This record gives sequence, C-alpha cells and structure tokens, in this order.
Amino acid sequence: MEAKIAPQTSVMEKLKILADAAKYDVSCSSSGSSRRNDGTGIGNTLAAGICHSFAADGRCISLLKILFTNECIYDCRYCINRRTNDVPRASFTPDEVCSLTMEFYRRNYIEGLFLSSGILYSPDYTMELICETLHKLRTVHRFQGYIHVKAIPGADPALIQRAGYLADRMSVNLEMATAEGLREMAPNKRRSNILKPMRQIQNGIAQNQNELTLYRHAPRFCEAGQSTQMVIGALPESDYQILSVAESLYDKFSLKRVYYSAFVNVNGDKSLPAAESGPPLLREHRLYQADWLLRFYDFRADELLTKEKPNFNMEIDPKADWAVRHLEHFPVEVNSADYKMLLRIPGVGVKSARRIVAARRFGGLTFDDLKRMGVVLKRALYFITCGGRMLYHTKIDEDYIVRNLTYQNRMGRGEKLPFMTDGTAYRQMSLWDYGAASG
Amino acid sequence: MEEKYIICEDSLEGIFTAVYDAYALREGHEHIHIQVGEDENYRLFAVYLHSIADSGKTEKVIRTLKNRLGEEVYLTLCQAAASCEPDRGEAVYRTVVDGVTDRHGRRTMENLRNPYVARCFALARRTANEAHHEIEFLRFGELERGALYAVIGPENNVLPFVMPHFADRLSVENFVIRDEGRDLFGVHPAGRPWYLVSGLEEFTEENFAWSEGEECYRELFRLFCGTTGVRERENRKLQRQMFPLRFRDYAVEFAGGTEREP
Repeated sequence: MEAKIAPQTSVMEKLKILADAAKYDVSCSSSGSSRRNDGTGIGNTLAAGICHSFAADGRCISLLKILFTNECIYDCRYCINRRTNDVPRASFTPDEVCSLTMEFYRRNYIEGLFLSSGILYSPDYTMELICETLHKLRTVHRFQGYIHVKAIPGADPALIQRAGYLADRMSVNLEMATAEGLREMAPNKRRSNILKPMRQIQNGIAQNQNELTLYRHAPRFCEAGQSTQMVIGALPESDYQILSVAESLYDKFSLKRVYYSAFVNVNGDKSLPAAESGPPLLREHRLYQADWLLRFYDFRADELLTKEKPNFNMEIDPKADWAVRHLEHFPVEVNSADYKMLLRIPGVGVKSARRIVAARRFGGLTFDDLKRMGVVLKRALYFITCGGRMLYHTKIDEDYIVRNLTYQNRMGRGEKLPFMTDGTAYRQMSLWDYGAASG
Repeated sequence: MEEKYIICEDSLEGIFTAVYDAYALREGHEHIHIQVGEDENYRLFAVYLHSIADSGKTEKVIRTLKNRLGEEVYLTLCQAAASCEPDRGEAVYRTVVDGVTDRHGRRTMENLRNPYVARCFALARRTANEAHHEIEFLRFGELERGALYAVIGPENNVLPFVMPHFADRLSVENFVIRDEGRDLFGVHPAGRPWYLVSGLEEFTEENFAWSEGEECYRELFRLFCGTTGVRERENRKLQRQMFPLRFRDYAVEFAGGTEREP
C-alpha cells in the first residue's frame, strides 16, 4: 500500500488534492444530532448544525470535506477521480486526518469531519481504513464533534455497522435517479449495491432507536440519520422522475436529506451536456424548493408535478405554481385557516405559519401584523384575506396572478434567487477572470 | 398627566433596575418610559428620573420574570436588552408590562399584535442571529502556551450568549474571547466555569505571541477554503450574503489573501 502513497507529499499538497477531489460532494450539513460535551475531550454537536465559512461558490463550509484517497478502481463518467483520468493522486494517513480535524476544530474553523473516499484496492480495504481513522479520532483524540462518513457500496456489512457507531451521519450516493442512468454513467456500480447499505443503515437506525428506549446510554448508531445525493441534468430525466425517487427515498428508506447536484462536466465528456452553458442551477434550485415542500409543507410529489407536466416552471417557484393551479382553495382567511392550509399559502413559511397560529389566539390579525411576523406580503397578497378583506383590489385569476408574480421577478422585486434568472451562476469579474485577462 | 422618563445605565442590570423603579412608582404604565443612556434632546414638559443599577432590585426582577414568564421569555428579554438599538429599554419594559400585568405568562412573546412585543421580538432575534454568526465565524488562534484566543467585534452585546456554547464545546481548553468594541473579555479556564471581565489591558492580543504551528494551520485552512469551492458555480454575491463583510476582518480565511475578493 505504501508504494501508492508518494512519501514526500506534504500535508499541504495532500489537502489541496483531496479537498479538491471531494468538492463535488454536496452535503456539508452538520445538523441532526445534539450532543453535549462529556468533559473528556473537545467537541459537541448542535441539532441545527453550524456553518463556519462560505466558499467562493456561496456554499457553506461546515465540515472538513476531504477524500481519504482519490485513488480509485472504478471508472464513472461523471467523476473527476475515475481510474482513467490523469490527475495527481494522494492518500492521507489516519493520523494526518485526525490531527487536521482536531486542530481545525479547536480553532473553530470547522464543525467536524466529512470523510469520503475513492476505492483503494477494494471496497472492504477502503472501508477498513475509514473505520480505523474514525476509531482513532473518537477514542485516542476523544473527538466529540460531528462526523459524516460515506458508506462504500460493496463493503462488508460488518464494517458499515462499525462506521455507523462512530459517525453521526452516513450517506450512500444514489448518483443517478434511474437504474438505467446509473448503468450508463457508472459501469462498475449497480443500483442494488447502493440500496443494500442504505437499507442496512436504515435498519440499524431503527434497531438503535429500540435499544435507546430500553437503555438510555446504549451506543448511538448514526444519530443524525442518513442522506444521499443525485446528479441533476447529466441525463434526460424529468423533474417528476427525480422528485418521485426522492419521495420514495424519504418514505421507504427514512432518509434525512436528499441532495441534488447540478451536473458539472468535469471530464469534458462530449456525449454529456457541455460545461459552457454552466451547470443547471435554476433547475437544482427548483428541486430543492420542492424537496422542502415534501419534507416540511406536507406536499406530495404528484401534487407538484404529473406525467403530463413533468418539469418545474422556471418562472415561478413550485409552491406558487401549485397555488395558481389550485385557486379553488384561495383566498385563505388567515385568522381562521388551519395550520396545514396556512403552510400552502405562497409567502408563508413554517415559522410565520406557527407565529400566526400562536398570535391569533390574542385577537384578530391585520396585514401589518403579518408583515411583522415575516410573511412575504408581495407574494401572499393574492391568496389571503385578513378579517374578510384582501390587501388590494386583486383578481383571483390564474393568468393575472402569474403575470404579476413574474413581472415582480423580472423587475428584481420578486422571488430572491441565489443567482441570475437565466439559470447561470451570478458572474462578475472574478479572480480567475482577472488572471485570464491579465495573463 | 406628564410623561416620565426613567434614564438607566446601559446594561442588563440597568434596564431591569429601571423596570423595578417603574413599577415602584405605582402610577400605572401608560405615561412611564424607560430610556437607556442620556437623551440628546430633552423633551418639553417631561419629567426625567435617574435610576442607578442595583443588584438587589435586578435579582427581584429576574426572579419575578422567571416565575411569571418562564425561562424562555426571560432569555428573549435578555437578548433584547443586549441589543444595540436605542429603544431597547422601552421595548423590554412594555413587553414585561404586557406579560406580567396582563398575565400572558409563557405566551407573552407570541402576542406579536402588540407592537412593543413585536419590537422586543425583533431585537432579540437580531441579537440571537448575531450571536449565532459569531459562533460560526469567530476564529481562535493558539497562543504560545496552548491557550486559545479570539477577537470579535459585534454590534450587539452578544458575548454572554456566545460563551456558553464554547464553554461546553471546548471544556478542556483554556480560552479567551475579546469583544473589541466593548473592551469585554470572556474567560474560560479549562474544566471550570466561564466568566466576563472588562478593562484588562494586559489581555489584549498585542501582549501575546502565537504558537509555532499557528500560521501553518491558518495557511492550511485558507488553502482548504480556496479549494473546496466549485469554480463552475462561482457566486460571490451569495457568498457575501451568507458571510457578511463585517465579520471577515476576524476570519483567517479572508484576512490572509487567498479568499479576499478582487
């Protein structure tokens, strides 16, 4: 094994290579588990999670996201680390990972470790190295912060079990929404191989719940649950297919999160969508919005999309889109509607819906009260009444509302998108452009 | 009836003492106001009373608030009192009146129809958000003898809300967090309770030397932050929204160069 690791590579170079190789993994959340420090080492976890910095792409940096090694025996078409790519290779040693994590953590740079890996020799071999690293971190260094680890498909279930007791969250990447897509993109991976560890982790968590009910101090297995991710826009799947897959993952595999990753053609593959138009960020954004609707707003995938209308409206968000197509439910009287209906009003979120329900016990609410509670009136005004009155004289008419909502968007006063509305990333002259212009 | 303004010191103790004094006047609450610090312009026909912070009165107020309104509302009131807005005294006072006198108890903060409760809620939320930002963005450096040291420059007085988080997380470490603007220090000796002190000249960072490995880890983190972003998705606007500029002077990844904006 030593022969594969160039001995002269410094930690600095390794970090550069292995952080670079891990950056396409989306998940960086440190949420879901809540643990106080026990006084024997450093670290605790907060249920809400903590971001510590934000990278130039605006994504949060919460965990030290690295690969253990970027050596890989597989040859997936979307992956920068595939066997046939000529990229610099490196591997950490368990001790290097431990000391980086500990020293970053005490300086409040990170919330914990995200450890993934390419496949070195075999899934078992790689998973064993990962387990060894986590074991060292938890026992020798007494690290009590957050750990997110990848379960390597095809690894021995006993190793995955072991990792689950050391980590807060585990994930297995689904990679593609459909089994055919996976076969096309990753010839060495099989759907069944991915679902197997996913099921094992789900069962492990369920069993652990039972143990914890009986024995409060039983060791915890993946306290923060499991997540997965799918690549969006590499193959022609519809939003409906993707969202249905996500829904069944939530229902049948009790996942905490499904992440969507706009496809970036890192390998310059001619048969896949090109990189010039940029990754499909708006589509990814719409999928995340819909994902939130599934998890917190009690929507079902087939309410938002159907076989006949399989893709999201790029002009308005999925919730407003649903509302204008179901105007028979509106306008909603804010002072009397039930919580579930409040959640379905565009411009009203989980927090403001809760505040409305709590505040209206004290008496009737006005539009000013709603504004103070965080309701986005410019979107909600078409769908609500307060004490029987609407805010302005507006029509309950699909075309009229859509026209107004999209007009606001175009004027830059409507929906706040994290990027330009043509779906490309917000781009100004950047460091890289400066380099290109001057060089 | 004439308006009465109670002028109090700018501290939690000052505000709570003023609340006590307002109740002690026994004149109802309609015409009584609390103001933190001296006013720039005096009002005509108003009476100004000065209240001097008193730990006995403060304790009584705290006990009443905890009993009648519950810990959660009490925490919200403390957060609102730690805000930097000039109307914080009035907002806290009116909210206490709404909760205690009108007997809304634990539900006090839910009565957002009352503009003062809504204001108090907004102030508290702002303080809590800034405290959370500091928990995210403050950076410790390691001093020569192994203790950790961080500097923050918050708008609101968030240090008392930041300390418990780190005292739990870094229970085995010695660390100090310094609030630059208020000259306030949060000190945590390893394995012991934390405390706040002010005016310690010898505790400022000029008097300390960083440890040997410190610069190396800063450099490693800068490298990590520069590497982990996806170039095809570059989005400086979003980054600025998530990591406001005013926090960046204190964060090693922005202070050193690689992550600095063009």
